[in-house]
Amino acid sequence: METAAIQTHGLTRRFGAVTAVDDVTLSVTRGQFFGFLGPNGAGKSTTIKMLTGLLEPTAGKIEILGRPFGAGALELKRQIGVVPEGMALFGRLTASEYLRFVGRMYGLDRETASRRTEELLDFMQLANERKKLVTDFSHGMQKKLALAAAVIHGPKVLFLDEPFEGVDAVAAGMLKTMLAGMLNRGTTVFLTTHVLEIVERLCSHVAIVSGGRLVANGPIEELREGVVSTLPDTAREQRLTLEEIFLAIVGADGGQEKPQELSWLA
Amino acid sequence: MAGVDATGANGVAEDSSWSGPLGARALAQCAALATLRWRILKNGLRSAEGVFELGARSIALLFAFAVLGLGLGALMGFAAYSQVSHAEWVYLPILFWLVFFLWQVVPVFLASFQEQFDMSALLRFPIDFGLFFLLYVVFGLTDVATILGGMCCFGLWVGIALARPELVGWTALAVGGFALFNILMARAVFAWIDRWLAQRRTREILGAVCMAALLSLQLLNPALNPRKRPAPVNVARQAERERKMAVEFGPWLKTANEMQKWSPPGLAAVAPRWFADQSPVAAFGALGALGLYVLAAGVVLGVRLRAEYRGENLGYAPGRREIAQPETGWQLGGSGLIAAAIEKELRALSRTLPLLYALGAPLLLVLIFSGSFLRATSRGHIFPLALPLSLVYAQLGFTQFFYNNLGVEGGGIQMLFLSPAPIRTVILAKNLFHALLYALMLLVAGILATLRLGLPDGTMAAATVAWLSFSLPCNLAAGNVVSLMLPYRMNPGRMMRQRGSRANALLGLLAQTIVLGVGATVFALCLHSHRLWLAVPIFLALAGAAFYALASVLCKIDGIANRRRDLLIATLAKKE
Repeated sequence: METAAIQTHGLTRRFGAVTAVDDVTLSVTRGQFFGFLGPNGAGKSTTIKMLTGLLEPTAGKIEILGRPFGAGALELKRQIGVVPEGMALFGRLTASEYLRFVGRMYGLDRETASRRTEELLDFMQLANERKKLVTDFSHGMQKKLALAAAVIHGPKVLFLDEPFEGVDAVAAGMLKTMLAGMLNRGTTVFLTTHVLEIVERLCSHVAIVSGGRLVANGPIEELREGVVSTLPDTAREQRLTLEEIFLAIVGADGGQEKPQELSWLA
Repeated sequence: MAGVDATGANGVAEDSSWSGPLGARALAQCAALATLRWRILKNGLRSAEGVFELGARSIALLFAFAVLGLGLGALMGFAAYSQVSHAEWVYLPILFWLVFFLWQVVPVFLASFQEQFDMSALLRFPIDFGLFFLLYVVFGLTDVATILGGMCCFGLWVGIALARPELVGWTALAVGGFALFNILMARAVFAWIDRWLAQRRTREILGAVCMAALLSLQLLNPALNPRKRPAPVNVARQAERERKMAVEFGPWLKTANEMQKWSPPGLAAVAPRWFADQSPVAAFGALGALGLYVLAAGVVLGVRLRAEYRGENLGYAPGRREIAQPETGWQLGGSGLIAAAIEKELRALSRTLPLLYALGAPLLLVLIFSGSFLRATSRGHIFPLALPLSLVYAQLGFTQFFYNNLGVEGGGIQMLFLSPAPIRTVILAKNLFHALLYALMLLVAGILATLRLGLPDGTMAAATVAWLSFSLPCNLAAGNVVSLMLPYRMNPGRMMRQRGSRANALLGLLAQTIVLGVGATVFALCLHSHRLWLAVPIFLALAGAAFYALASVLCKIDGIANRRRDLLIATLAKKE
């Protein structure tokens, strides 16, 4: 049997008295487009940081491509690409210098890194901005560059933390095409985003975290059936969107009590 | 309207008495800012690093106040008292000029080490421009140069007032105006330099101008003083030379003296004198002119701050749209990780003016101090330790390279942890790059010192090189550890408004002092026993031990970095 691309067992991270991620166990099979959802502060970015070696778990195990993963697992790091929360850019390099540097850090030879850099800049429509410093890029352009850096070495597993945030509709369409292409080539994609429409269109499986705990995990259809089964008979005919499923699972209040209205805006 | 108070329906003040730089709203905002600073300080104490940082700040502040400030202030006071009590008013402007240079030049040298509050963070709030201006000036009052300059001014005032008690009020006006001018001027210079550094083109031009100026100054001094070694003093010949110089430069000095009277230091110095000479019209004129200088400095600062207040974003400099062309820039040979990392370091350095400046500025000190070594002895010999001391000054520029070697990575630090390259490789590449730079810069400093002082004694040169080969690995080893333990984010686009770390600076200073102390002890013992050659094998043996220590640190660097990665990412990748 083929091993999972990503496997966690009891993954936990505590910051002092606060448990940001609590006993998360999940499995992502190879070639799957996996959506990792949750309200703000649910622990999505913390989970991605642990899965990519940016943060030490307090407890639990991580396996990537069937092998134990940690900060020192350098060979495994070569197999993964990441767009982290902070984008991991060097502001004082130009776009092409940055991509070449990242390529070489992932072990590409100079010629290959240069060739792929040119292709990526063209693809991401950043070719006209190649001489601009990254620090002078707009937020959306920085996102595109971060995504280009994440795929330059042809990773087998791709972790994307909010890749569509701040990206315009044209670029988002282009990125979706690229991700679909990578999926066809067998790449596993682990995505967190608040744009549920994208998850619904691209992902086959989703997991939902709330308050650091995994509250749902499985194919979208399975989650939909699960939610529909809790509805009254009269409401079972409607087809629920992912947003409705998400709200039904985490609660419209995101798992937190909230006041009904703001006193000065009422 | 009856029943309506100063706050409107949504709780925001609508009464006009709330507005203005000193209105109730401004005062409330000041109180909120003071609370913010207090909270930041208090919350910073939650971590051991925060406690250490506060301790380091307290020591630095105490040192600036108690040792440097009081010392300089007392010195100025004594000098002013001595001159005024002997009615030697003509030399008083020299003291004011010294304070002026201290106030304007020291911040530039310390620019990269000082923490400044980033005022642009306040622009999202409804802050009045007057208050914005005021806060910008007030936040600058805590920097070292202002503390030192302020205490010097206080010393001058006390000195003059003790010598001539009837001038206490007028002197306070003159010295106060002079201090205000310096405060505004220093802040204006900071603000404008930051503006120029915000755009890539002007940043590169300014960087090139700075480097060219430094090199020119280095070459200017030997050109003006071509004699390499001072000849033994011949009293008659020296008197004749001085007489010729007086004839040659006398008129020039007289003109310069007349002109300086119209400058802020000159005006501040002549105003009390004219009051003492019972010339109130001239004295009031001098005070008025000083007031105009204060106004001008305020306007220069105001123009810059007004643009920032209107939302000018220094971080964004729109560039010309360029047609896509294949990359034609240089690339470092080799495909290895170390070559890639060194290439990145080189590219980033060429665009990071604070670091370029930190490298270049100490060369200026070499220029100044090597001149003083020439005059260090009247018997025509150069001070024996002139060469190593000159190189020690040049080495100061590497403090940030060695002791905060991840500081300019910013968000890129995440990439270093994500990539399959061990952090050890990245740090090793940085160490190699810095060692190369160190060798190059010290070679330049050595050549310049030799041009200025003449060829050094062979044994002394060998001992100096041996000491440098001990100093380099020591600093690299200590710097690697300090960089991982107490990192701080550097903004490469800003020279002045940096967020520094006193704790990092203190540890760096401590490590450098130990290295210098060992060097000085060995030199002193060997010179004392007339066996300077012995310093060479001693330093080489120490260098061997230091290289072993560096190798040990590098072996453990991955473990340290991985344990500290949360802090490193949080500190270096955070948005300002």
